[in-house]
Amino acid sequence: MHEPPKEPVKYVEANLYLPYRYVAGDYRARFFAAMKQKKFLGSKCSKTGKVFVSPLVNSPESFAPATEFVALEGRGVVTTFCIVNIPVIGRDLQLPYVAASVALDGADISIFGAIQECAPEAVHMGMRVEAVWKPDGERTGSFDDVLYFKPTGEPDAPPAAYINRL
Amino acid sequence: MTTSAGSVEPMHAEQAMEFPYKHSTGETIGRFLAGLKEQKTIWGQRVAGQGVVVPPVGYSEIDASAAQDWVAVQDTGTVTAAAVVHRPLERLHPFAEPFAYVLVKLDGADTGFAHVVKDGLDKLKVGTRVRAVWAADEERKGHVRDIVCFRIID
Repeated sequence: MHEPPKEPVKYVEANLYLPYRYVAGDYRARFFAAMKQKKFLGSKCSKTGKVFVSPLVNSPESFAPATEFVALEGRGVVTTFCIVNIPVIGRDLQLPYVAASVALDGADISIFGAIQECAPEAVHMGMRVEAVWKPDGERTGSFDDVLYFKPTGEPDAPPAAYINRL
Repeated sequence: MTTSAGSVEPMHAEQAMEFPYKHSTGETIGRFLAGLKEQKTIWGQRVAGQGVVVPPVGYSEIDASAAQDWVAVQDTGTVTAAAVVHRPLERLHPFAEPFAYVLVKLDGADTGFAHVVKDGLDKLKVGTRVRAVWAADEERKGHVRDIVCFRIID
């Protein structure tokens, strides 16, 4: 026997399975609990007054503690966005849809949100939007409690209002 | 609404990511795997600057020249590195009980072959002699797990 079989094995199957136990921690647990009440919970930097959503324990900018919580309504402005034309496994939104960064009123950083109830081509920077929540009784304290954001019809916010809140 | 910091009941979620890969093996690894299945033999390749490489990749990592000839190595060898997994995770790891990932320099080879050791972990260290435990003829399917594990030679 001088060599292995001429006919190679063509492929191997390797199922990679990665089980995680995600623990939210104190601030993130509060954030999710607030979603049940249709609020976005942020935290305020004790030094600069900047509000972070979801809440951060310390400001990544000043490193000062952010111990005060601020509950924001789900209204804000589209700061940047993209139109998604390629399906993503695990997300069943109809294509094309808009994935956007939304700076909530009172927040200094943006959160992710899908923009619906308008044509994807109509979405633009500065557009005013509001959260559409799951009905009462169906919210579980999860980011999925926000179905999407929809246009409010208000006049656009000027770039200066959101340029530093991307 | 403004509230002050305190503590809330911790929240957690069980999540799993799953990647069902189907690797195309290519000629060299394909024949190596066929050797495990059909011949119960571990094959390496003699390669410029590297000696006998197991598992073979078909070329030299030193000068990119093509591999020379196939060389059958022994299914016994010496452990060159070991990492014990004390708490295996279901479906991620190959065994439910503690085991070790090892590199085995098989007799006749010049490189480490990555595999697992199941038993006698307290005796396992660099330099320990081990022997391959083969799956039964009807169970070998052309996969690195046609070698079930390596067992310490007493």
